[in-house]
Amino acid sequence: MLHTGHTGAIAEESDHAANRGLDWFNLCVANIQTGFGPFVAVYLVSQGWTQTAIGIALSIGTVTAMASQVPAGALVDALRSKAAVAAISVLAFTASALMFAIYPIPLFVYLAEILHGFSSCTLGPAVAAISLALVGRAAMGTRLGRNARYASIGNGVGAALMGACGSYVSERAVFFLTAAVTLPAVFALLPLRRIGAIAPATTSPTSGTTPAAIDAAPPGARRAAVMRVMLDRRLLIFSACAMLFTFANAPMLPLAASTLTVRVGHLASLLIGACIVLPQLIVALASPAVGRFADLRGRRPLLLLGFSMLPLRGLLFATLPSPTLVVLIQALDGVAAACFGIMVPLITSDVAGRSGHYTLSLGVVGFAIGIGATVSTTAAGWVADHFGSQIAFLGLAGVGLAATLLLLTLMPETRPPHLPGGVAASDDTGLDTVPARLLHIP
Amino acid sequence: MTSSADQKPSNSAVISILGKKVFGRDGEDMGRVVDVLADSDGHARAAVIDFGGFLGVGNRRVAVDWRSLQIDPSNADKPVILSLSREQVNAAPEFKESAHPEQAIVTDPSARAPAAPAHQQ
Repeated sequence: MLHTGHTGAIAEESDHAANRGLDWFNLCVANIQTGFGPFVAVYLVSQGWTQTAIGIALSIGTVTAMASQVPAGALVDALRSKAAVAAISVLAFTASALMFAIYPIPLFVYLAEILHGFSSCTLGPAVAAISLALVGRAAMGTRLGRNARYASIGNGVGAALMGACGSYVSERAVFFLTAAVTLPAVFALLPLRRIGAIAPATTSPTSGTTPAAIDAAPPGARRAAVMRVMLDRRLLIFSACAMLFTFANAPMLPLAASTLTVRVGHLASLLIGACIVLPQLIVALASPAVGRFADLRGRRPLLLLGFSMLPLRGLLFATLPSPTLVVLIQALDGVAAACFGIMVPLITSDVAGRSGHYTLSLGVVGFAIGIGATVSTTAAGWVADHFGSQIAFLGLAGVGLAATLLLLTLMPETRPPHLPGGVAASDDTGLDTVPARLLHIP
Repeated sequence: MTSSADQKPSNSAVISILGKKVFGRDGEDMGRVVDVLADSDGHARAAVIDFGGFLGVGNRRVAVDWRSLQIDPSNADKPVILSLSREQVNAAPEFKESAHPEQAIVTDPSARAPAAPAHQQ
């Protein structure tokens, strides 16, 4: 139905190639992002940077990412080829990684942080838009489940690869490796290069306002349409929930990891590595089922499942269990991450997918998530310093509980009611061969 | 190799400290020097060492007494050796930017230090 101009067989084959390409792209991008995280501070220390200069560099990255969310989302909406946006964003990563590796002087590091911060904000929404254009609304959850699976494989492989590279070769080599991985990422986009062009075709013919119609509308009407999407009650409630989720979630791993470093000594690095990789493994295993369940049954049960992991995890961490248990508790993070990671682009696509402002709306949610992450690291660090990590974990559990209750009381189900239950629109996913009973998450 | 103090040129030789890896006496990686604390006389009192963690997650900072470091600029591989053990470093309080960072400085109780000339209140 998507490819009215093609014969069925050709469409199916190019569909298959496009889906494969998107899988590989997600894997490579997650791999690339591993090097740009907290590891930047480790690298700059090894280059003799002072603490003040490192703080400035990281703040520049954070501020850029926060300020770019909404404008980058609007920009991606306005550009026709989302695959081109994705390719350019990845090439910007190549440039940042090489600047880090070759010229770690303030000018280039600051530039690299800005470049990376902005292109991260264009890349995520572009991938979501490509996914929606590729499979349509009915199979969006399933496709996002695949995205999450391959991204978590990329994260896990990236952590192992970059971790080994950093400790056995050199910190600098991590960024050369990062730059190298951007090349297969761009190649993976090749089968997707025409996807952006068919995006308007996925708009349901009954919905009236296609992106083309909005483009043609007078500016006043366009502004009103943008406001209608951005001020959608469901989007605002979900943004608030997502902010609280991230607030409770972001500091938990670093906090647990530093208690490990205190108590375990030289094995700590290994255990922290396990704390990072185990959730990725869970996400890789669970997210296809999460995505299918969302398509067939709805979003709310999965949201509640994912959010309720937070108070549980906080409470368990607060009991200060043995180091092995810390790693096991991290499995709950995998469940939460699988649900949350898929629901953010999925619920946003429910609310704004057909409006022509999908990636702008993703920018709004991303901004809320960014605020949650930035504020909470400082707040949790302060509480841990003054009252101990136990109280900090309990506080985070409390915020997680608040997020879950907000979700429970205010957030409606957003799965479009007219979607067929149990039958997928895209036959590429094998969706209709899966009996409904297999889709329940244990 | 990193033997006695009477090596010929190293008396006047100096070395950049920030970002250098610190090794234990048995060659174990003890982290990196990220900061140096100095007192009002201009003497270095302590080195802040960042260690542990994985890809920047979960690492920890402690301030170790300057006298617990043996610095040998002529040693290209391991110029900075820490006389504290891994256990002593783990037991140390976390170093924080605060009004009194000197309270967090870890000294080596077993050290041969007959109160070095650097500091005595």
